[in-house]
Amino acid sequence: MKYIIALLAFATSAYAHEMTPTYFEIKSSYMEGMSKTKFRLFNRRSDVQYYEFSAFDKEWNPLPFATTDKLVNIEYLDIKDITIYFRDTDVKKVYYVCTTSRLLKEDVTSTAIASKICSRIK
Amino acid sequence: MLKTTLSIAAIMMATAVSAENSPISGTVESKCSIYTDVQGVYGNPNPYELSTTPADGGKQPIIRYDVASADYYIAKLTYPNAFSSSPTLTDSLTWTGDVEVSSVSDAGMSGYEAAKVQYDNVTEFDLTVAGTTWFKITSNIVYGVNKSFPAGSYTAIATAECIAK
Repeated sequence: MKYIIALLAFATSAYAHEMTPTYFEIKSSYMEGMSKTKFRLFNRRSDVQYYEFSAFDKEWNPLPFATTDKLVNIEYLDIKDITIYFRDTDVKKVYYVCTTSRLLKEDVTSTAIASKICSRIK
Repeated sequence: MLKTTLSIAAIMMATAVSAENSPISGTVESKCSIYTDVQGVYGNPNPYELSTTPADGGKQPIIRYDVASADYYIAKLTYPNAFSSSPTLTDSLTWTGDVEVSSVSDAGMSGYEAAKVQYDNVTEFDLTVAGTTWFKITSNIVYGVNKSFPAGSYTAIATAECIAK
């Protein structure tokens, strides 16, 4: 049994995931029938390079949206501004927008805390 | 005379330089940051058991939440109920766990533990006070009926969420 190595992860250093704003507003965009909102993502997790965006209604049902990168590649200590577009028909349903850390399969043994931050409509 | 004039000029220049302002600006936004302060390790106290409890040779993951504004967020922590990677397992697994407040930065947070809401493998805390809260996660897995875990590497993922209210 001494060969069993079971991890939630190894390291003891601190890593953080930040997303702002806490309460977002949706504004009309230059594209007809589309509205947009903007988020700033700050990656202070050296063990994570990818974050995934998702949008939900008040009952946590997923909603469609468009962005240049649904899965955002963001380097450690880097800041990225991401614009998300919603159809005007969905705008009234949008309640939460979340980012979730995504781990590469080969990195999973070095971290096993998934972080998720959700902002809410203003 | 020349020396004196040069000295005065040098002092004046130095004064002018030291009077330069270098403003550093910043804004404080309401935000939530999730830190993984300590990542967990499973101990193997019995052939059929994996546990993060220190008495069992494990290490409990500690997750830190920083909130800049009071009463803006709910912390939702989930202890694992499946392995993300493991050797092939042929018998059932029994997953148990717990999430507790480990430490707080403000006396006003002392009620968090009593007020927590638990369902399934999820625990919710209402972050009603601005500051830092540390949470620790306990995870325990029993394989079959006292069946030995196959040798290999086991990984499970705990989730820490911060949801705007």
